[in-house]
Amino acid sequence: VTAVRPDRQVDPITLEIIQAALQATSDEMFAAFRKTAMSAIIYEVLDMGTGVTDADGNLASSGAGIPAFVGVLDKAVKRLLELHDRSAIGPGDVFATNDPFYGGVTHLNDVVLAMPVFADGRLVAWTANIAHWNDVGGMVPGSISNEARELFQEGLRLPGVKLVDAGEPITPVLEIMRCNSRLPDYLLGDLWAGIAAARVGERRIVELVEKYGRDTFVDAVTAFMDYGEQVARRALAELPHGRFDLAEEQDSGAVYRATIEIGDDVFVVDLRDNPDQDEGPNNASRDGTLIAAQMVFMNLTGAGASANAGHFRPLRLLTRPGSVFDASPPAAFATYYEVMIRLYDLLLRCLAPRLGERLPAGNFASVCGTFIGGRHPDTGRHFTIVEPQVGGWGGSARADGSSAQFSGFHGDTFNCPAEVAEARYGLHVDRLELNPEPGGEGRFRGGKGILLDYRVRSDGCFLTCAYTRDRHRPWGLAGGAEGSSNYVEVIRADGTVERHAVVTALTVNAGDVIRIHTASGGGYGDPRERARERVLDDLRNGLVTAERARSVYGVDAT
Amino acid sequence: VSARARVRAATDVGGTFTDLVYFTLDPETGGQEIVTAKADTTPPDFERGVMDVLRKGDLALAGIAFLAHGTTLVINALTERKGVRTALITTEGFRDVLEIARGNRPDFFNLHYVKPPPFVPRSLRREVGGRLEQTGAERTPVDLTGLPAILEDFRAAGVKAIAICLLHAYANPGHERAVLACVRELGPEFSVVASHQISREWREYERTSTTVLSAYVQPVAERYLNRLDAELRAADFDGQFYVMQSNCGVDSVEKTKAIPITMVESGPSSGFWAAAELGRLIGEPNVVALDIGGTTAKCSLIEGGRVRIHSDYWIERSRLSAGYPIQVPVVDLVEIGSGGGSIAWVDDFGKLHVGPRSAGAVPGPAAYGRGGTEATTTDANLALGRINAEYFCGGELVADLDAVRGALEHVATRLGTGVEEAARGIVRIANGNMINALKLVSVNRGYDPRDFTLLAFGGGGGMHAVDLAAELGIGKVVIPYAADVFSAWGMLMSDLRRDFFHTRLLGLTADNAAALEALLQEVRAASLAQFGAEGIAAADVRFHRYGKLRYENQEHSVEVALPEGEIDAAAVELVAERFHDAYEREYTYRLDAPVELVGAHVVAVAEVGKLEPAPLATTGRTLGEARKAPRAVDFATGGVHEAQVYVGELLEPGMRFGGPAIVESKGSTIVVHPGSTAAVDRYGNVIIAVAGEPETEEVA
Repeated sequence: VTAVRPDRQVDPITLEIIQAALQATSDEMFAAFRKTAMSAIIYEVLDMGTGVTDADGNLASSGAGIPAFVGVLDKAVKRLLELHDRSAIGPGDVFATNDPFYGGVTHLNDVVLAMPVFADGRLVAWTANIAHWNDVGGMVPGSISNEARELFQEGLRLPGVKLVDAGEPITPVLEIMRCNSRLPDYLLGDLWAGIAAARVGERRIVELVEKYGRDTFVDAVTAFMDYGEQVARRALAELPHGRFDLAEEQDSGAVYRATIEIGDDVFVVDLRDNPDQDEGPNNASRDGTLIAAQMVFMNLTGAGASANAGHFRPLRLLTRPGSVFDASPPAAFATYYEVMIRLYDLLLRCLAPRLGERLPAGNFASVCGTFIGGRHPDTGRHFTIVEPQVGGWGGSARADGSSAQFSGFHGDTFNCPAEVAEARYGLHVDRLELNPEPGGEGRFRGGKGILLDYRVRSDGCFLTCAYTRDRHRPWGLAGGAEGSSNYVEVIRADGTVERHAVVTALTVNAGDVIRIHTASGGGYGDPRERARERVLDDLRNGLVTAERARSVYGVDAT
Repeated sequence: VSARARVRAATDVGGTFTDLVYFTLDPETGGQEIVTAKADTTPPDFERGVMDVLRKGDLALAGIAFLAHGTTLVINALTERKGVRTALITTEGFRDVLEIARGNRPDFFNLHYVKPPPFVPRSLRREVGGRLEQTGAERTPVDLTGLPAILEDFRAAGVKAIAICLLHAYANPGHERAVLACVRELGPEFSVVASHQISREWREYERTSTTVLSAYVQPVAERYLNRLDAELRAADFDGQFYVMQSNCGVDSVEKTKAIPITMVESGPSSGFWAAAELGRLIGEPNVVALDIGGTTAKCSLIEGGRVRIHSDYWIERSRLSAGYPIQVPVVDLVEIGSGGGSIAWVDDFGKLHVGPRSAGAVPGPAAYGRGGTEATTTDANLALGRINAEYFCGGELVADLDAVRGALEHVATRLGTGVEEAARGIVRIANGNMINALKLVSVNRGYDPRDFTLLAFGGGGGMHAVDLAAELGIGKVVIPYAADVFSAWGMLMSDLRRDFFHTRLLGLTADNAAALEALLQEVRAASLAQFGAEGIAAADVRFHRYGKLRYENQEHSVEVALPEGEIDAAAVELVAERFHDAYEREYTYRLDAPVELVGAHVVAVAEVGKLEPAPLATTGRTLGEARKAPRAVDFATGGVHEAQVYVGELLEPGMRFGGPAIVESKGSTIVVHPGSTAAVDRYGNVIIAVAGEPETEEVA
């Protein structure tokens, strides 16, 4: 065992203190952003991320929030460095990008703000954040449409432009942004929250460099990344090695394929053999695809570690330009997140049976992005819900899956309390409970999804959603049963029921109920091996019927 | 007036020891005497330890006018899961809220993350029909017809306590009151509590969790307080008896028995209250207070003499777990796993870490010689000579220096360094952890620590304070007299205090001034009625009123003091101005957007005759007489120096000395770095003027 040290030896304790301060900086930016944001999707759903990169855009630390945003910021900064001459980057500047072809990585709703940090006149780091903005223009309210065919239909493109120059906002740019949103007040509030967060981080790093000196600071960042790499390589060496592949049909009928090679020093994800890019918005940029691979890599090698650029060094990604995982202009990206989570789930499913007991069975594995908008019946103002849903997680060799938890795409994300939703959105929340539908039985069963009823109170509201894992359900493992489905029912005031998984701008009126069902996770192991006491417990708790207890688990409670 | 009017005492039940502090006042001279005593904590019958310590302190119970009591009973019952079997009655369609919680996974790369399991299993979570609007208006009437069957099931399942939490009860408790009355009538054997009795804030998961956790510990707390009260009375105590709460105030035993959950953070709260009171006494209204104990360090910011109380409090929450919310008034603090007993360890990649794992009381640091083999912060401080090996734990223990060396060698080997370097590293890492915590309560909230005084207490406060202050650019450090029983002192300084948080959404406009005034009057009337029922006159109650404000559509609010008197249009304008200013200070920008009131925070305070501290008597002793033999001390960040050593108990007001120096008292050590100077003020507090930050070393 050797300590991680750069060639020029600096006291390792000093390096450690700087590294802890880098982490604290990302956390502090996260807290500041969360508290000041205007939109529930940022402050409650925490569809946001913060981070610090080195001068070249390599990720040094990242804040809490959601795993799917951890690897976004470095890619954005790297692209900014390509787009701008160094002489055009100065202290007090803030840049913005949301365009996957300009470092935006995800979709146009996710706006990245990045701020260069200077010390002694030299660029030493970047602080950056990303957040989902409610409306950036485009063809539908909320900017996300399953009907989009081109990026141009999805809103205003911000191609890595400067928003703040040496501390002064560039008003014309802000005016263009404001004027392109249906919710300009939210946009400006969220924008300033992001700028404030980046500035908080900048101040903290300047203080660090002033205290320890630039060379020591740079050494600390370098050593931190080397440490990340060592952690990753150590974990990689302990995984079964080999070449694994899997093809899986999606709800859309498309077949996605992945080949994963695990070696002592490499983790290769090959996605070249995949369909051409989608004509609709079901595409991911290469950067977005890379993040799905990074998430799997962190799941396998990163227990307790901080995600930084060094940690990801052993990871290789192969894609084919023009394919669904490396889409070319002018592809639409609105629902990139379902493509990403499908890929993420595919990679886990590919590995799960081959890695011993390291991975649980499949979970509900859809963001279950739900968009509801219309007129607030009490205030007359326009409201928009933009929210992911919680669902069931898969059983594992050790335990039942958790119920009602956000997907692997999200993380420290919070659902909206019914009491807040009723005030804020002017809908009635008639119920929120565990979904009793069968599925996910096993020695350790999947966790339960939810049933959530929104009763609409004014005419002319809309519902948009894009759920996957409806037709093809969460996968079981080691003989466990597959989970149930993610879908939405619209129960009209007259009693008729419509079933949807993907729908855009469906009109819903006063008295209609939007019933959200999320899936239970897959089961792990043969249900007949489930401990009798656990089955009886589930019976008592109404999580399984007496009939299923008998037929699936072989337990007769009478 | 009999002698008993003059004795004020506080007892504090901790994990290992039960402490007693009492003050006697000589009516002739006005002189005060502080007496302290310690006895073992005696689980599960904690009242025994309390009675023991009162006897040990040689205190005639009949002579006590005021007795304040603090205990970790509630937090222990929660974390050790030693409450009673609890059931929940909630609104139809929402019984799973307690299990669904907020759905978050803080340890987000861990696919095996396990949600914290609910305190009530699904089979004991039952529903009643009826709905309210967020305005409090009734949507459908409450339906009590199912309750007899529900209670029958609860009985069959051995339930002891019942929590009731219905949707929008914060706005209108009517439905909850109906259910509560019915449950009390049908099941008088159950301990019952409804959410509106504890919290009038929105967010059903947080409120349900709060109600459930309170119900879960209620019978345990009630039994304990009843027994303690009975034993005290049997021993002729007939003074006022108060229980320390989490909001920096004390409250009556009766109130605490009904809602024991408000005791959950009583320990830290009395310490931070002590810091605020001491700050007032010595003219330091702006204080960063730091309490370093055996397993954790806690800090809180006091501005203008005011402690911050909020209701966004969680137990067992960390980077690895979502924890459980408790929506009661708690002093706003940051706690980290870094105390004297925190264990230093080196990971597989040669990185040194300190905490959060702690050696606890058993086996304790290696120096205790009780079989501890892992190096702790205390061991590192010993090895560096910062703690006196000859006077370890006030001379009560002989430091096992071989064990210390062995434990540090293990760390040093893994680090590839010498033992001294490893010990310095442990102290520096521990300091680094505490610096980040101190920044969270100061810079992170828009405050510059340089505008504050660092007030450090607890066993380890004086050991690290000067280092931390230097690092943060803080110029002055205060180590209070009797720093190791400072929390108990805080209890003696406490008022009867109740914090009321009421959610009510109102645009902050002149039109709504009357509605805001009505809300404040409503809260005021309710609290006065409560006090009145306990025999406290309205004239003796003072109110402090705050608004929770935000820009429209935001979620998080900023608390702003409301002006005195009736809220009218002009007052609303003033409040808006205060909000914009406070917001900009904290977040660097302001918006030209409508401002919204989310609710009110009303503090009701009734003085219960608190202590007026008197200056410490002097005997004319010289500084030289307080000095011990000097010794070499490694200051970790400031090199090795021959330090003067002083006996804390012999220091007297007016004494001054410079660093390098060490002050050793029975329960704590103060490290004064080279260049810093210390002075003893008239109350016996050690005030240190901190020299500029020491150079950081680089090992070539």
